[in-house]
Amino acid sequence: MSAGLNLVLVGSAALFAIGAFATVARRSAVVALLGTQFMLVAGGIAFVAFARFGLGAANATAGASMALFAGAIAVAELAVGLAMAVLIYRESRSFGVDADGG
Amino acid sequence: MLLIGALPEPITSAPLVVFIYLLLILMVAGALASVLLRSTLYAIGAFSATMALVGLLYLTIAPFLLFALQLLVFTTISAALLIALLRETAGLRASSVGPFSREWIIGAAVSAVLLAVVAVVVGATSWPVHVCCALPESFGGTLRDTYTVGLAVVIVGLAASALGSGLLLAAPILPSSRGGGSPTDRRRDRPRGAPR
Repeated sequence: MSAGLNLVLVGSAALFAIGAFATVARRSAVVALLGTQFMLVAGGIAFVAFARFGLGAANATAGASMALFAGAIAVAELAVGLAMAVLIYRESRSFGVDADGG
Repeated sequence: MLLIGALPEPITSAPLVVFIYLLLILMVAGALASVLLRSTLYAIGAFSATMALVGLLYLTIAPFLLFALQLLVFTTISAALLIALLRETAGLRASSVGPFSREWIIGAAVSAVLLAVVAVVVGATSWPVHVCCALPESFGGTLRDTYTVGLAVVIVGLAASALGSGLLLAAPILPSSRGGGSPTDRRRDRPRGAPR
């Protein structure tokens, strides 16, 4: 039994799929925001996995740099997403993002 | 591009492999709980737990403390912001489950078992964390020299998002037909003596 690139990529893909489901299917703005965070983190996990196990291992700092950038983008997205969630709540007294505010 | 040399070997140490499997399973379960739980507060808690597990996974497969620190700071800030958002808007409702009810006892037992498993793994393996010296010395140089444009884009993106979210929050909200609007507007429009 071993843990290599495939295993970590499967975990990353599962996390990305859960994030995509939350973003597309859930009506709450906060849960949709969490879903986008999951998708970004899944991308970071894939970068780190390739840096550790894949071709990028020859230059491991490349994967580290990309994961750092993905984290910074996630922070920026969180700031804007929170502001939008507050606006949605002020508008309809709920975090629902569909037409009836549910 | 021709591939020269072999790929790095996968991790074969049995305790470490089991630990990675456990981390991945718990990570996916935490993410699922975060998405499926109806209580937003519990969803945020599950999200924070998932991020902590991702940090552990980073430390296990690529022992750069930077990743874990980054995730720790990110998780703390995001959880604090989200809880503050809930407190300012919908409010933090107290749980209907008592502190000594069956659910809490089962949860505490599961948490204790998981903690014991982590302690056993830490004790049985050489914990792959190098506090200061695991980072390649050229990391800062790589960021500065190779990814200059990316670094600049990220800095501009962070500044733009901070400015944009500030402007969004500062913008006045007009009352809508759906009963919304800013609290000050509603307070102003209410006739004197009317019930709240």
